[in-house]
Amino acid sequence: MTITPTTAGPRVTAERGSGRAIGWIGMPAGIVVLIIVGSLLNDKFLSVSNLTNVLINMSIVGVIVVGMTFVFITRGMADLSVPATVAVGGILVLALQPVMGSIAAGIVGVLVATAAGLLNGFLIGYAGLNPVITTLATGTIVLGIAQAAVGGVIVYGDDKGIQEFLTGRIFGTIPVIVLIFAAIAVIGHLVLSRSVWGRWTYAVGSNPDATRASAVPVRLTRSAAFILTGSLAGFAGVLLGLTLQTARPGIGIGYEFDAITAVVVGGVSLLGGFGSIPRAIGGLLFVQLLTNILVLQGVPTEPQGLIKGGLIAGAVALDVALRRRGGRR
Amino acid sequence: MNRVQRFFDSTTFLGIVQYRVIIILVATFVLAASLVPGFFEFRTLSLSIDRVATLGIVAVGLTVVLIAGQLDLSVGSTLALSGIAAIGLQPVLGATGAAIAALLIGIACGAVNGFLVVVLKVNSLVATLASMLMFRAICHTITDSRPVSGEDPLVGLVVTRPVGGTFSPRALIFFVAVILLALWLRRTVAGRNLFAVGSSSASATASGIRSNGYLFGVFVFSGAMAGAAGIMQSLAVNTGSPVFGETTALTGIAAVVIGGTRLEGGRGSALGTLGGLLVLAFLTTSMEYQSIPAYIQDIVTGIILLLLILLDRFVSGKARRAEPLANVIRRWLRSRRDTTATQEGMDERTLAP
Repeated sequence: MTITPTTAGPRVTAERGSGRAIGWIGMPAGIVVLIIVGSLLNDKFLSVSNLTNVLINMSIVGVIVVGMTFVFITRGMADLSVPATVAVGGILVLALQPVMGSIAAGIVGVLVATAAGLLNGFLIGYAGLNPVITTLATGTIVLGIAQAAVGGVIVYGDDKGIQEFLTGRIFGTIPVIVLIFAAIAVIGHLVLSRSVWGRWTYAVGSNPDATRASAVPVRLTRSAAFILTGSLAGFAGVLLGLTLQTARPGIGIGYEFDAITAVVVGGVSLLGGFGSIPRAIGGLLFVQLLTNILVLQGVPTEPQGLIKGGLIAGAVALDVALRRRGGRR
Repeated sequence: MNRVQRFFDSTTFLGIVQYRVIIILVATFVLAASLVPGFFEFRTLSLSIDRVATLGIVAVGLTVVLIAGQLDLSVGSTLALSGIAAIGLQPVLGATGAAIAALLIGIACGAVNGFLVVVLKVNSLVATLASMLMFRAICHTITDSRPVSGEDPLVGLVVTRPVGGTFSPRALIFFVAVILLALWLRRTVAGRNLFAVGSSSASATASGIRSNGYLFGVFVFSGAMAGAAGIMQSLAVNTGSPVFGETTALTGIAAVVIGGTRLEGGRGSALGTLGGLLVLAFLTTSMEYQSIPAYIQDIVTGIILLLLILLDRFVSGKARRAEPLANVIRRWLRSRRDTTATQEGMDERTLAP
């Protein structure tokens, strides 16, 4: 049997000029437009202190966004156990603080959250379960265990030193927490764009069958994305616990949706194989700037969800439309 | 290893998996019966079912969405919005008018989801996440984040007072919805088409089924059911609150999945969802009776959910026939006899190199 050349043409067609331009310039242009609009609407917007506040506000969720980007790129849908792993980090760091000090307690918090990520990774990568329902179930279990460990109450800490360090500024200008977030984002970006792991991550998300045929450990790569998200969410929880010096079980609720929002607005595809950390961070910055402008304009918190929701739906619809025009699906 | 493999391939194991909902239902029923004194009294049973009736009505809508291979995270927000409408519009439209308006709002919410998924081609997970945020924001905006109370608390008795000493009307509505859905899924062409759409919407379209119509329909149905559930919950407590239903979507999906419906679409049943709901009802009743804290209950529910999807995963891809329960039990008894008879021979074989 002879192999006839398919008439379908190349599988991946280059995006047309306009589509590519929107894809590349869209997010930076959007951020610039927001900054211009913001500074026109309110003269407090473009001040150093306001913009620093925006950065501080996005730091903790930003740490989670880095992990969630990996999950999205491996076509792992989303990690819904983030609220649980954040709470695990926050609760454990404060509960163990009196016993072993903040740093060691923080490490334990991250390790336990990583264990939850391992469970997710094993079930999704190796047992092949659906990520949405699996992370939902593990999240319920893990959060329950963390609550049971401290008796289901709010935990308070009393390490003023580390709280001041984290909320303080280096050289009087750069907030420490922003620096931590920046370091994680840069490392995440380098791993994703320069390392073997990063290349595997893209390969697994774009075509799992071909990737498996090329001897790439597909299951390991898919698991790794969830393990990474587990540890980063745990770390975010530790940071949150240490800066607030109080942690209730519901401390992480909403972080999963905030992280998904940022990643999706940044144009990282839920279909996998496409996206980057700078894009996701760009999406996060866009959402945060928009929220900041709304707050400065005196828009109450309640209708902001309406705008956020519209933004998510609009961003994904635009992404889908651009892909279809570019000949990719 | 060989024997483990053989066990997973055996008809006994497949039978266990096929009837896992019934098995776990019986197990939780026995647990509840042994832990809760007077559980067999009809009143206790009726009350424990009344408590999950609202969730059950949402789950009926979610069953259809999951069979179609989609997700709906927005049902909780729709529930709250409809509930607020059912109470808040009472002074203007009267109790019945407000309930009808609330149901229409639920349908409209579903149509928004359908529009996002079918017309704009947004993945249903992200689309309903977006609409979840939007509907919730509308709830908070129109109520100023405060619960609204109805004028006449007696209106709520319509949905909670047991009919003729049996079940409450909302539990009855739930049962009727399950039965109607089961008949629709099993006995009608449209119902079977839905399974085809869920397995592969492209293939379904190729064989002449209007997949997009079905996809739009499932979201409208899910919105309508969430709306109906919202009306009943709000009437029952005579309050519409913007924070109602914050965990409804996730618990509802869990109940449907415990009932054996696949998240990937193409497989599921209405009676399974009834089973999943009853499992949750019995579990909650018995654990609360033992005053086990909520977080321990969460751990138990999570583990059951995880075990069931793992079991389901083990048999996916293996040929499965729908076998009558009696056959499965008979074969299991026979295989038990055979195993004990050939036990020694088996051991020798496994030890041999």
